[in-house]
Amino acid sequence: MADQTAVFEAVREGMIPAHVYNDREIFELERDRLFNRSWMFLAHESEIPDVGDYVVRHVLEDSFIVTRDNKGEVRVMFNMCLHRGMQVCRAEMGNASNFRCPYHGWSYRNDGRILGLPFHQEAYGGEEGFKKKGQTLLPAPSMDTYNGLIFISLDPDAEPLEDFLGDFKFYLDYYTKQSADGVEVRGPQRWRVKANWKIGAENFAGDMYHTPQTHTSVVEIGLFREPKAEKRKDGNTYWATSGGGTTYKLPPGTLEERLAYVGYPAEMIERMKESWSQDQLDVIGRDGFMISAASIFPNISLVHNWPKVEDTDSDEVLPFISLRQWQPISENETEVLSWFIVDKNAPEEFKALSYKAYLMCFGSTGMFEQDDVENWVSLTNTAAGSMARRLHLNSRMGMKMDGSEVVPALTKEQFAGPGKAYVGYGEYSQRNLLSKWADYLEREPEPAKGISLGGAIRGEQGRTSCSEEQNR
Amino acid sequence: MAKLTADFGACQGYANCVVAADDVYDIDDDGIVVLLKEHIEESDRARVEEAARSCPVNALQVVDG
Repeated sequence: MADQTAVFEAVREGMIPAHVYNDREIFELERDRLFNRSWMFLAHESEIPDVGDYVVRHVLEDSFIVTRDNKGEVRVMFNMCLHRGMQVCRAEMGNASNFRCPYHGWSYRNDGRILGLPFHQEAYGGEEGFKKKGQTLLPAPSMDTYNGLIFISLDPDAEPLEDFLGDFKFYLDYYTKQSADGVEVRGPQRWRVKANWKIGAENFAGDMYHTPQTHTSVVEIGLFREPKAEKRKDGNTYWATSGGGTTYKLPPGTLEERLAYVGYPAEMIERMKESWSQDQLDVIGRDGFMISAASIFPNISLVHNWPKVEDTDSDEVLPFISLRQWQPISENETEVLSWFIVDKNAPEEFKALSYKAYLMCFGSTGMFEQDDVENWVSLTNTAAGSMARRLHLNSRMGMKMDGSEVVPALTKEQFAGPGKAYVGYGEYSQRNLLSKWADYLEREPEPAKGISLGGAIRGEQGRTSCSEEQNR
Repeated sequence: MAKLTADFGACQGYANCVVAADDVYDIDDDGIVVLLKEHIEESDRARVEEAARSCPVNALQVVDG
């Protein structure tokens, strides 16, 4: 494999070798050194509310069953039969007390424990031949949740999820904790685009610069009140530990007036005041910034916008939130999973209108989505060629030649949020995201430990960890 | 009422019956079927018969009585 040191050095200086957006070797490094280690989002707990509910989700090629077992615990298990490796669950979602392998009929309870092992006595000599007691489908090496968001890492020694998310939790709460009961999700819609996964992640992390150009038509037809160029440059972009995003500057007013300005009803505003810290409230009420798009490293994005949903002359808007994952298929193809998110305690009428607002803007039919993807596909195609190997894209917006800042970072008095934030156009978040990407790709992978099941290997009795030991 | 029977010698531990009706059938540590009930209501008969029929080695029956 080629030495990529020069690529990482260039990326850290904000100069991006264009081929990283369509390069097989880079993609293989991402698979082995990034997606094999990082915390990866799989599902939200509200997708599996009842005992036995499950969804099947992927980390690249690896299929995982995310279930709520009979005790109500959330489990994430590798969807591969311990015997011959067949997928034990072939549906995408459903409710089941057990999963049965279609190949030889082994079955597993919804906490992963082996239930049925045909001809155990005759074929294996019972427990003396194949120890089935305590054996489970392989649990995800690391699993944890934040605000109901279920993450796993394929690294058994992954740092705790809360440490990984770090200061970005502050911003994640705006999207996923608008009341004490959290959010519910709808979806995901799932579709594929012929674009590299990093482009979407970078775009949502901090590309407020594209809005006035790419999304002109959305403003022209009157759907959107905000994304005019003069509006976007007044907002700030921030980066905090594992993620970053963009904000809009709100007109003068109190906290309540500003939340009402983007369309939240009074009862939801009251619950936000109870759920968020003083600093979280100050970002809006004191500093006048409203969170918009964001990305969590490596491939999760969020968006919060407030379009006009009624076809009238009034300026009335309604907010929606979407969560999406840029699931890599190859160096030039990405599966997008897009969820609608809404506060569990929101009034039903708000939920319905907010869902409509989401569908107009994002999701497979969303107007913003269509605008964006045309750029991303075209960029990916061009990045495969020979000329792209010569060009280093300039991703240094907001930074002078000598590395000094075009504008100073906001002080704590100007912006109560953690991390670093700057008003105006700049590619701060994209640089942070790709620097983190370079950190992961540069580090040699640890060889994965083999897990042998039920029998002897090199004199040792292999077994999976008992289901009770799986992280919660 | 209908009666449940099992041929414990024939059972090979597939557990298909448990997957189909885990309130009626279970499996012990040796991989042999356990009847959690001896009798079931007629109204439940169709469901339990389907579970019994899912046994690949015909170890389960639902009979009158």
